[in-house]
Amino acid sequence: MRIILAEDNDILRKSLSFFLESKGFTVDQFSDGKDALDAIETNNYDLILTDINMPGKSGMEITQYVRQTINSETPIIILTSSGVEQTELDSFDIGANEFIAKPVSPAVLLVRINKLLKTRF
Amino acid sequence: MNNDYPIPDNELQRLAALKRYNILDTLPDNAFDDATKLVSYICGVPIAHISFIDENRQWFKSEIGIGVSEVPREITFCNYTILDTKIVEINDTHLSERFKNDPNVTGGFNVRFYAGVPITTPDGYNIGTLCAVDHVVKELNENQRNALSIVAKHVMAQLEIGTKNIQLDAQRKIAEKAVLARDSFLANMSHEIRTPLNSIIGFTDLLAQTELDEVQRDYIESVQIAGENLLLIVNDILDLSKIESGNLAIESEPFNLKKTLKHVYNLLKVKAQKEVDFNLFLDAEMPDNVVGDQGRLNQILVNLIGNSLKFTNEGEVTVSVKKLEETEDNYTLKFSVKDTGIGIHEDKLTTIFERFTQGEESTTRTYGGTGLGLNIVKELIELQHGEIHVKSTPNRGSEFFFIISYKKGNPAQPAVKSMSINNLGRLKILLCEDNALNQKLAKSVINNFGFDLDIAQNGEEGIELLSQNKYDLVLMDLQMPVKDGYQTTEYIRNEMNSTIPIIAMTAHSLVGEQERCYKVGMNAYVPKPFKQAVLLKAIKTVMNPNIELTPKRIIDLSFLDEMACGDLEFKKEMINLFIEKIPSQTEQLEEAFRKEDHDAVKMLSHNMKSSLDIFMLEDLSNCAAIIEEEAAAREFTTETLDKMNVLHCGITEVVKILKEL
Repeated sequence: MRIILAEDNDILRKSLSFFLESKGFTVDQFSDGKDALDAIETNNYDLILTDINMPGKSGMEITQYVRQTINSETPIIILTSSGVEQTELDSFDIGANEFIAKPVSPAVLLVRINKLLKTRF
Repeated sequence: MNNDYPIPDNELQRLAALKRYNILDTLPDNAFDDATKLVSYICGVPIAHISFIDENRQWFKSEIGIGVSEVPREITFCNYTILDTKIVEINDTHLSERFKNDPNVTGGFNVRFYAGVPITTPDGYNIGTLCAVDHVVKELNENQRNALSIVAKHVMAQLEIGTKNIQLDAQRKIAEKAVLARDSFLANMSHEIRTPLNSIIGFTDLLAQTELDEVQRDYIESVQIAGENLLLIVNDILDLSKIESGNLAIESEPFNLKKTLKHVYNLLKVKAQKEVDFNLFLDAEMPDNVVGDQGRLNQILVNLIGNSLKFTNEGEVTVSVKKLEETEDNYTLKFSVKDTGIGIHEDKLTTIFERFTQGEESTTRTYGGTGLGLNIVKELIELQHGEIHVKSTPNRGSEFFFIISYKKGNPAQPAVKSMSINNLGRLKILLCEDNALNQKLAKSVINNFGFDLDIAQNGEEGIELLSQNKYDLVLMDLQMPVKDGYQTTEYIRNEMNSTIPIIAMTAHSLVGEQERCYKVGMNAYVPKPFKQAVLLKAIKTVMNPNIELTPKRIIDLSFLDEMACGDLEFKKEMINLFIEKIPSQTEQLEEAFRKEDHDAVKMLSHNMKSSLDIFMLEDLSNCAAIIEEEAAAREFTTETLDKMNVLHCGITEVVKILKEL
């Protein structure tokens, strides 16, 4: 299973990648939203894991682009530290499959990822 | 496809009601999943769901046997159920004129049996449905139908609780914000008032020590009394805010009870009017030494006795203390203050301890006072698990008595070695303070003590002087231009690696500040306006070499451990990355904050928050969150500044600890 992870905080990105790789996933990591989007266009990922606030492109823009422009149904999980309810509503509105508030519990993230991958395949 | 589905008459209001519950597109919830399972068990059907219907779609909050999260509104049978007030049951769709040609009967979900109950809001709108569906012909019995209706009601109750919780949460956040705003208002006000008051009281004290004629002495004494009174009022208000925020700590130290009572008695004796006998009666069995909060007992007694003396023109005011009970560990004591003053009307006795109430409306005009004193007294006594009562007859007098239990003190307590000024020698002291009046005042006081004083206008100048000369002690104002007291102390401790004693002097007097002073490495704390004796005591304490170190922060690495899956190398790598990055980010953040670059502050604090979360530094992460929020609102307040400082200190400390790992 190949996952793309877009998160601009180095420590969090590296930790999450390390964690997911330990659980058997292949992880491509990006700290810039624009680079992440380029990678999504050229590669086939099984799941997209993205932060909202990032330089380049935001997680919201990535989600919108994937759903509307590329017309892809790849599962998307949005990570955010925003406690605002509207952010969560907006995330689903533009087509995200899951919304996880930071700080992210690795165990919970793993369950959600597995759930999304299972319902799809 | 059947496009002409029916629309309820109250569709607009119904959609508005649905919107109120904010249920659409929410994450799965056990409570709803359980209800759906229950429907499936009760009716013995393979398909069951709880759904909500908006303009265009039927969205499934919970489902069994459907496998999608929503369907277009035009295809759902539930369009008919939300028109109804009770259960809609179609035993065999093939026999139903309405449904027999429906695509979901002839194909799709292959619905043969359908039973749906509307989910109805308390104000009567059908916002969704609870359904049981099967591929075979079926008929529910009376119990099953009843059960479905009951489950639907429970689902609605669940929704109500959910929204109520969200509303409560929003209210709570508003209330917390208001408290925060008030606290910072109080901190600022107390600062604004105390700074000039500091000068008034200090200079009056100095003036009183000069040679004066009788008229001048009288004037000066009046100014002193007025200044002290003003300070009492400011302190009352601050105490109240501390009590309210739960930040007032009751101390537990051994003290001499008899001495305390005699001290209060002597202090207040001068306030008694000529025609009033002021007496102190101590029970012979009363203990000498107890363990408790001497300062607060003082405050309570001064307040109650002060009131009695104020309201008594003739007769007597009697203070008495009696031992009620003695156990192995405790003494229970009754303190009474009885007078022959103006008394209190019976109907006022119950409200006398409430805030801003006095016996009569005219009391404030005639006798002054804030109406806060008795309220504070009551709160202080209750904080010590005691109780206070009052008895009174108008024009005859009043008696206030309170009961407090104190732990037994050790009578063999060795006397603390007293240090006179002389055995400190001629200390060389450095004062960092920007206010010229305060400089002048401190200089006079310090010189009176027999010490030498150099003055720095700000922290940077202080550091320069400190590197050129040898000092025994630093007195540090907290609010200064260029480098404030915290930053200066950090520099002295971390860059100069000096352990020179530092005493904070501040007109702020809110909870938390003192901790912060100790956290950055200061040794003592003297609130302004400072009393000469208090300052001297602080100087003596810090010059005593047995200074206790403040407890260190413990860093929880369990989150990182979980991420690292037991890989120590990776864990170390992440810690090093944190140590490497976070100090420079803090610097950038402070730079952006100074430039009021809201966007940069928002971005940096956001990014730092994620790093802080990994090391589970909840307090610092909260600081970063608040800074981010204020930056997003494009307005920095004193709270932002405060959080910046806390963040700075915390990060310095954390990095230091992580480096030592």
